[in-house]
Amino acid sequence: MIRVWTLDSFDDKQLAKFNRTLYTAFGVGSEHSGSAEVPAGMPEPLDAEKLLQEVKGIRSYKDDKVLLLTTRKLKERELPSGVAPTSGFAWHGKDRAVLSIAPHKDLETGFKPVARHALHQLGHLWELHHCLDPRCSMYPPWTPSFAQGEPIFCTFCREKSEQKIRLAKS
Amino acid sequence: MPEGSASLQLAVGDRVVYPNQGVCRVTAIDVKEVAGQKLTFVTMRREEDGAVVMVPSNKVVAIGVRKVATAEDVESIFEFLRSDSDKADLDWKQRARTNLDRMTQGGILGLAEVVKGLQVLSELRPLPTKERELYDNARHLLVMEVAAALGTAEVNAEDSIDVVLFPPGRERPKRTAAEFARDEEDLGLDGDLLGLDGDLDLPSDEEPPAEPAEEEASEEGEEGEAAESTEEAAPKKRGRPPKAKPEAAEGGEAAAPKKRGRPPKPKPEATAAAEGAEAPAPKKRGRPPKPKPPEAEGAAPAAPKKRGRPPKAKPSEGED
Repeated sequence: MIRVWTLDSFDDKQLAKFNRTLYTAFGVGSEHSGSAEVPAGMPEPLDAEKLLQEVKGIRSYKDDKVLLLTTRKLKERELPSGVAPTSGFAWHGKDRAVLSIAPHKDLETGFKPVARHALHQLGHLWELHHCLDPRCSMYPPWTPSFAQGEPIFCTFCREKSEQKIRLAKS
Repeated sequence: MPEGSASLQLAVGDRVVYPNQGVCRVTAIDVKEVAGQKLTFVTMRREEDGAVVMVPSNKVVAIGVRKVATAEDVESIFEFLRSDSDKADLDWKQRARTNLDRMTQGGILGLAEVVKGLQVLSELRPLPTKERELYDNARHLLVMEVAAALGTAEVNAEDSIDVVLFPPGRERPKRTAAEFARDEEDLGLDGDLLGLDGDLDLPSDEEPPAEPAEEEASEEGEEGEAAESTEEAAPKKRGRPPKAKPEAAEGGEAAAPKKRGRPPKPKPEATAAAEGAEAPAPKKRGRPPKPKPPEAEGAAPAAPKKRGRPPKAKPSEGED
C-alpha cells in the first residue's frame, strides 16, 4: 500500500487524481493517509534526509510505502562527486520517501512532472535503480527532459517493480 | 585464527565483497570437519539481505573475495566515469565475455567499466534484455560498494555515480556507430572472412553459393548484433538472393526460366550455353539440375551425372 502523507495543504481532488496515477503505475493501492508537521525549527530548504528521520506522526504498516508530499523546497545534496539537485529523496529499499512539488505551486499546475517524480521516489523504495531510458520515470530526475515525460515506467523497470511488489506480498 | 589466505587476511567483522553477490560481513571463521578433513571456513553474511555463505579459507582468493574498496578507490572510479574514454565494443560475444570477466574479477573498477560501457552503448541503441539485466546488476553492486566505501546511503551513492554519468542540465549525447571506429577493424576482419567463404564457394560450384549464403545469414541472425554491425557482409548475403531471382527471370527465357527460376544463379549460364539442351534436361529432372545442362550440354548421357547432383539441388528447392 502506498500512503501519501502531506506536510502542507493540498487540494483533495488533485490528491485523489495523484493517487490514481500511483495506483496505475504500481498496481498497488494508494491513498492519502493524513497530514503531518515538518519538525519545528527545520529551515527551508528542507534537508530531505533529516526530514525523513525526524518527521513525527506517520503511521503505516510494515509493507507500506510512505510518500511525504510538501510544497517546500528541498536542499541540494553535496555528494562526493558533485551537487545533486534534489526534488525528492528516498531510502533505497526501505519504506519512506519525500517529494517536493516545487517549483510548482500546486499539483494541478505541475501534475505530470510531480507524478513522474513520485514514481521515481517510490521506485527507489522498491529497489529500482536509475534507468537508461529517457522515457522511464527512473531516469535521473535532474536531466532536462525528465520533467517533460509521462509518469510511466519502461518495461524493465515495470517488471522489476512488479516482481518486488509480489515478493513483498508473499 | 584469522586465516584468510596468503594475500587476504580476514577477521571477524571485516567487510568484504563477494563477486556478483555484493558487500558481505565476515561473521565467523571456524574449523569444521568435512569428510574427515579439518577445514577452516569463512562465514560471510550479505549485508543487503542477510544471506549466509561459507567458503573454505583456501578458496577465498580463488573465488575473488576482496576487501571493500577505499574512498580513494571510489574517487578514482568517479574520475573514470567522468572521463570520455568510452569505446563500446560492438561485438556482442566479445562484450559479453569481457563484461563477465569484469564482473567476477575486475573489482570495483570492473563494475564501473561494465556500467560505463553499457551506458555508452545505450546511447547508440537500446540495450538487449540480457545486457539491461547485466547493467542493472553491475549498477546495483557498484552502488552497494560505493555506499559501503563512503559510509553513505545507497541513494546518495547512486546519485554520486549518476551526477557523473548524467551531468545535471545536460542530455546524454546520441551516438552513431561511426563513433566506435575501433570496432570497425574487427568487423572488417569478419567481413573478409565471410567474403573469402563466398569466393571459395563460387568457383567450385555455382549452385552452392545460395546454400552457404543462407547458412551464414542464419548464423548471423543468431548473432544478432554482430550481424547488424557487419554492414558489408550481412546485407549482401541477405539482399542478393532475392534480387538475383528476379534478374535471372527477366534475363532468361520467358517460360523455362520461370519454372526453374528459383535457383537463380545458374540461369545466366543456362541461357548462354544450354539453348539446345533446354528441352530434355529441364523436363526430366529439370528443377534440381538446372545448372547441370551447361556441363552436360552435348550429351544426353549426362543423365548419370545429374543423378549425383540432385542431393545438392534439393536443398536449394527446399529452401526456396
